[in-house]
Amino acid sequence: MPRPPSPSIPEKEFLYGSLKQSLRLDGRNPLEMRTPTLTFGPDLGWVECAMGKTRVIAQVEGKMVKPPPERPLEGLITIHSELSPMASSEYESIRPSEEEVTITRMLDKVLRRSDVVDKESLCVLSGQRVWHLRLTIHCLADAGNMLDCACLAGVVALKHFRRPEVEVVGEEHDPSERAPLPLSMHHTPFCFTFAYFPDPTILPVLDPSHLEQRLSAGLMSVALNAQRELCVVQKAGGMPLDQQEVLRIVDVAVGKAKELDKLVETRLKEDWAGRTVEVR
Amino acid sequence: MTLVLPGEQVPAQHVNLKLGPGLLQLSSANGDSAIVATRAGDLNHSANRSKWWIESNSRRYVPAPQESVIGMVIARSGDNWRVDIGSAHMATLDGLAFEGATRRNRPNLKVGSLLYARVSLAHKDMEPELECFDAQTHKAEGFGELKGGFVVHCSLKMCRLLLDPKFFLLPLLGARFPLETATGLNGRVWINAKEARHIIAVSRCIEAVDPDGGSMDEAGIKKFLGTLDI
Amino acid sequence: MSSRIEILNDGGYRSDGRRQYELRSIDIDMSPQGTADGCAVVSHGLTQVQVCVFGPREARKRAETLHDRAVLNVEVGVLPFSAGERRRRGRADRRILELAASIKSTFEPVIQTSLYPRSQIDIFVSVLAQDGGLLQACINATSVALASAGIALGDLVCAVSGGVHGTFPLLDLSALEEGDLPNVTVAITPRSGKVTLVTLETRLHVDRFGEVFARACEAGRVIHTEMRRAVRARTSKLVDAMGAGTKGTGEEDVERDVLMSEINDF
Repeated sequence: MPRPPSPSIPEKEFLYGSLKQSLRLDGRNPLEMRTPTLTFGPDLGWVECAMGKTRVIAQVEGKMVKPPPERPLEGLITIHSELSPMASSEYESIRPSEEEVTITRMLDKVLRRSDVVDKESLCVLSGQRVWHLRLTIHCLADAGNMLDCACLAGVVALKHFRRPEVEVVGEEHDPSERAPLPLSMHHTPFCFTFAYFPDPTILPVLDPSHLEQRLSAGLMSVALNAQRELCVVQKAGGMPLDQQEVLRIVDVAVGKAKELDKLVETRLKEDWAGRTVEVR
Repeated sequence: MTLVLPGEQVPAQHVNLKLGPGLLQLSSANGDSAIVATRAGDLNHSANRSKWWIESNSRRYVPAPQESVIGMVIARSGDNWRVDIGSAHMATLDGLAFEGATRRNRPNLKVGSLLYARVSLAHKDMEPELECFDAQTHKAEGFGELKGGFVVHCSLKMCRLLLDPKFFLLPLLGARFPLETATGLNGRVWINAKEARHIIAVSRCIEAVDPDGGSMDEAGIKKFLGTLDI
Repeated sequence: MSSRIEILNDGGYRSDGRRQYELRSIDIDMSPQGTADGCAVVSHGLTQVQVCVFGPREARKRAETLHDRAVLNVEVGVLPFSAGERRRRGRADRRILELAASIKSTFEPVIQTSLYPRSQIDIFVSVLAQDGGLLQACINATSVALASAGIALGDLVCAVSGGVHGTFPLLDLSALEEGDLPNVTVAITPRSGKVTLVTLETRLHVDRFGEVFARACEAGRVIHTEMRRAVRARTSKLVDAMGAGTKGTGEEDVERDVLMSEINDF
């Protein structure tokens, strides 16, 4: 697939010119995120996250398996994400493109390596039965910044999921009559991506749109939770930034994390209030 | 008018019948020919029922001759330029197809420049060809390189609406601030105004009115403009 | 898994006898290998990485060339015997692809690609031995290899890894420390002090991150001194070899060239 043509000269010049005046093409402030819209599906653990026109679906499923012998006390979590050409014609189906590798690795780091879910709580019978959680992420449309959208969808899906409560009765286990349990999570990370541009007088913008991402000189992603703990910082190359600038971006992300945390909690409560869980 | 789906028969009968986009004449096994719709949309016809067509919306452009389009230069091959107009194939533009261009004096385009051109040849078996002057007068008439400004992508129906002089959007915006636009029938609109925030306002209005993404009416746009900072 | 070995003991010594901010011994070898235009083997303690640079040369696929710049192509191969246990990692392994993508985007703004339009610069990285600090070794080796290939660079790029144990920042982590601690890798361009790459995995408090970040930027300058020394030594060897070839009037040119390389503070 030949690479898509880079944006035209008037588009480039107009974008840089308006960013110099702190104007963004969709009318946002430079440090304003698109408000995420979270839609929950009928199943627990199915959530669609839309930020502007960027849409991602995440789903969590759980099943019981035998744990590997070297870790008999911990559950397993696998993340499966594929960017199909449906999201954007830039993603090939055969070889993973660079952006796909970045997104898959970042999701892995944010959701798995930073210990979001308490794996020891997933153990039912040590050495024999543990929960294997499978998080699947489908990217439906890419209008810039698919990474943040995918991370948010994944985290909210994990918070939304309820696993059946099982009791060990002798050697058998039955799903009991109690309500399904939420997963025990250590923390809730959120990812924020900033784009910065070749002109050093233009300050970095948060949540870049498609055109801003293509014309940027580099991206910096910061994943952190509302308790001021950084999970992932990823500035992989791109134009060099001052040390102060890097720390300033981290500070901005800290503020945004608190806001996003409140929003997610409110949405989850609303959805949970609207559901009636059958207890047979 | 009436809504038709692909495959439905259309009662189009006239001595000099002309079929527009979305209609096809198929001959069935027993020799009769029938007019069949190939797209989903509104069935329209002219007053004397000689011209029939289907109004539908799409985002991908299929070149047709004599249409004005906005293209971006992607490469140079010898004397010609290869231009991306958003269709299945890249179009070719002769380096001399500009007003007043001679062998010694050719316009100097760069890769990435925007052009307003006219499709001179659009055959389904060949690559489309463009020209940057009017067919009869051989004068520029607004065709040529577009400098500055910004280009917005929209659906094809939106471009057709913008080209309709009775449509409300451009006169409404033009009354607020001076503005110049070039609308290509391939889903691209070039906008230029003095201030960046005016250009941003126009681009957001076009996206809001686009039948694909909102289709706001006049009252909605007036309210929307009130919220923007102009 | 409990760590039986202390990361930092009360006397301030780490498991391999280093102090808190001490870097491992760095060895840079720029002798030519095979037909590569530029080659470097860099060791940080026991971690050893070899980088071969080819280019700028004609691009293999015409469709991928850019009309005004060179295209960078980075391929990373981890040898199966490089880690503790023998493992064959395929080319399409995500970790390796991410490493390659990081190296590519780190050097894209530093290499003056606009001087070589429609060509391709190939960077082949081979990891010979792994003992922690893989990304830093790859970046340092690539910098030196590009300098040895004579490709126009805006500046060298120096990378350092670091971590935090409790409240103590540590620099240049070995594999043992990397497994237990949150680790940061920072790459800077020494002349301007600006940061080209920052990666952090696992959880770390914002303030701790600020401390280790500042320390790593300073350490980058130390690595830069080492790189300068190695590149200087190699360049003066080459200049001597060129001077020995020409006789007579060549001698004064050699004198002048040696003086120039001492005056130029790069």
